[in-house]
Amino acid sequence: MYNKNRQRVFMLMILPTFIGFFILYIVPTAMSFFYSLTNWSVYNADLQFVGLDNFKMLFEDSKTLAGIKNTIIYALITLVVQNAIAIVLAVFLDKKTKSANFVKSLVFLPAVLSILVVGFLFQYIMTSADYGLLNNIVQFFGGDPVNWLGNKDIALYSVIATQVWQWSGWLMVIYIANLKSIDTALYEAAEIDGASKMSKFFKITLPLLYPAASFNILLSLINGMKVFDVILAMTQGGPGYATETIMTTLIREGFNSGRNAYASALGVVFFVAVFILSRIVIAFLNKWERKIS
Amino acid sequence: MKKKTFAFLLSLIMLVGALVGCSSESGSEETDSGSEDEVVKLRMMAYNAESTRTTYLKMLDEKLPNIDIEFEFVALDNFNNVLNAQLQAGEGPDIIEVGGEAKLLAKANYLLDLSDKDFTSKYADAGLKPYSIDGGIYATPLQSWFEGIFYNKKIFEENGVEVPKTWDELIAISKKLDENGVKPQIMGAQSWEPMMKQSIGLVNNEFYADEANSEFDNKFNEGEAKLAEAWLPAVEEWSKIIDEGILTDDMLGLSYDQALDQFATGKAAMWESGPWAVPTILEKNPDIELGMFPIPGKEEGPGWLIGGPGSALAINANSEYIDEALKVLEVTATEEAQLALVEDNAGSSFLKGVEVDLGEIYTDSEEAFKAGNVYAPWTAVWTSGNPIVQAYGKSLQEVLAGAKTVEEALQDADETNDNLRNTLN
Repeated sequence: MYNKNRQRVFMLMILPTFIGFFILYIVPTAMSFFYSLTNWSVYNADLQFVGLDNFKMLFEDSKTLAGIKNTIIYALITLVVQNAIAIVLAVFLDKKTKSANFVKSLVFLPAVLSILVVGFLFQYIMTSADYGLLNNIVQFFGGDPVNWLGNKDIALYSVIATQVWQWSGWLMVIYIANLKSIDTALYEAAEIDGASKMSKFFKITLPLLYPAASFNILLSLINGMKVFDVILAMTQGGPGYATETIMTTLIREGFNSGRNAYASALGVVFFVAVFILSRIVIAFLNKWERKIS
Repeated sequence: MKKKTFAFLLSLIMLVGALVGCSSESGSEETDSGSEDEVVKLRMMAYNAESTRTTYLKMLDEKLPNIDIEFEFVALDNFNNVLNAQLQAGEGPDIIEVGGEAKLLAKANYLLDLSDKDFTSKYADAGLKPYSIDGGIYATPLQSWFEGIFYNKKIFEENGVEVPKTWDELIAISKKLDENGVKPQIMGAQSWEPMMKQSIGLVNNEFYADEANSEFDNKFNEGEAKLAEAWLPAVEEWSKIIDEGILTDDMLGLSYDQALDQFATGKAAMWESGPWAVPTILEKNPDIELGMFPIPGKEEGPGWLIGGPGSALAINANSEYIDEALKVLEVTATEEAQLALVEDNAGSSFLKGVEVDLGEIYTDSEEAFKAGNVYAPWTAVWTSGNPIVQAYGKSLQEVLAGAKTVEEALQDADETNDNLRNTLN
């Protein structure tokens, strides 16, 4: 009886947040599903059902498709590279020496900065102007200057590089916390059996990093899918459509062009894409979990 | 427990007190304003900052003592969002600063028709054209904006080159500067705007200068005419500047600010922009000798600038204070108000008979101004101009990168136009 009462109190306590969440998130999401089937725009006086026209237009528009493609490339590369770097850093820096602590804070530092600040900063570092820092370094070592943000084949990867630089340290901290919880007895046993450092890492450390990894992988995936601010600061989606993402396309079509219904349709596609991708990743993570338990 | 209840009650009382205090204050304010000659509060929503309108607003204050204008600045990035949301909710501002979206708003019945008002006829037709649709006029223009090519007079002198009168001359002097080791033209091509504008400068010269094409823009709105056919020769002429290696693909990695930097510090001889850049240039290099020439065409002539009515004032058709709002527009249509507007933001006035002296920087552009050679089709006539020129400008970036042809870029703009016509009707 006491327990049930307690539960009721807890339910009441989350009610205010839930109401806010419902009104400000669930309702608008449901509304955009509805609007994606209409011709809704501030410039259209009357609302009409147009069926799947918006979706048809969306999949015929090469610019929007470029945005979807870029987003998936961005999300997958940041996911793999960030996590790989973070795990390696975590394993090497999981020590209590002063120098390790110093390097740890150095690697973590970029995560403190705002993404916009990092974006504008790198726009100056990677610029093709004569004072571009990165190109000056390349030229110092005898290389040819590279058009980091202006070359359509490189620009997306330049943006990815800055985000890997910024967030690897953040993920590293989560991995380090996980490493601390791994039982040292396992390593001692491995040592007695004469296991090499490599096999200790692959047989013990990596599998047991599952809790941190599942969190980090999903986080990187979702952050990657919704990337917007760094693109805005560094390339504005250019040159051409080389770095447009789902979010930049959505803002461009929905707000600049006033095609709100079309943008809603893109929002629905985004929702489905995130849902499917995260399902795949979760299936992979579950397989991993079964392996270690 | 008792203490907690007490604290709770106390805070409740304070909250109620605060609320009551608020309401009684605002209540008394209302009665105050009611007794004092009925001062009406008008909301003016604008995307140009208050600092660009200071003199004008002060003048309105003096001329119209019973109208209190509440100036609301909303940055252009969000302006349409905020405005449209308010209009849809029926709570829009009384006076609205409108630009390219005026026609769409008028079509959706949000704006008051001003065509039968006396003050409307005081403006030149060129200034009213962008805000006219189906026989109605829905806004009156503020001062114009324009854009041409800035040049560094000192660099020109040192290298013995003159202001170009034709597009071929521009290419020739660029080559000469290049041979002398000076970067002829810098461009912040990371933004899609500069190439789009400069190429339309040539379209102005070669296409719009011909009276026979005056109906093109209306046909384009209806989807009966295509850029890829009409504009192609002019834009191909412009693209010589890419073929000749004057605009290069490394400029795609330069932002507007970085290009401004290079021009202001004398690392490049020419840069395409408008008067709003002048204060920043002078701040970075007070000694620069600055000039601006219009974009030249194939044949020698006065050349053309890109530009038009920068923005205009419209009245919310559902406003409670339409008469007062009309008074504001009436006062705006006087020479005094126009000069006040220009004082804070350089441009020319569309009010008939008002002449504005722009200053030394723009002497090379005087002939173009006199001939009325200032035009920007996407703000002047096109129904949804901004998304179309954005698509065009972004495709021009791909042209500069060598991935597309000029014709494909124009086709992209046509396609965007078709899409928008089909979805916004």
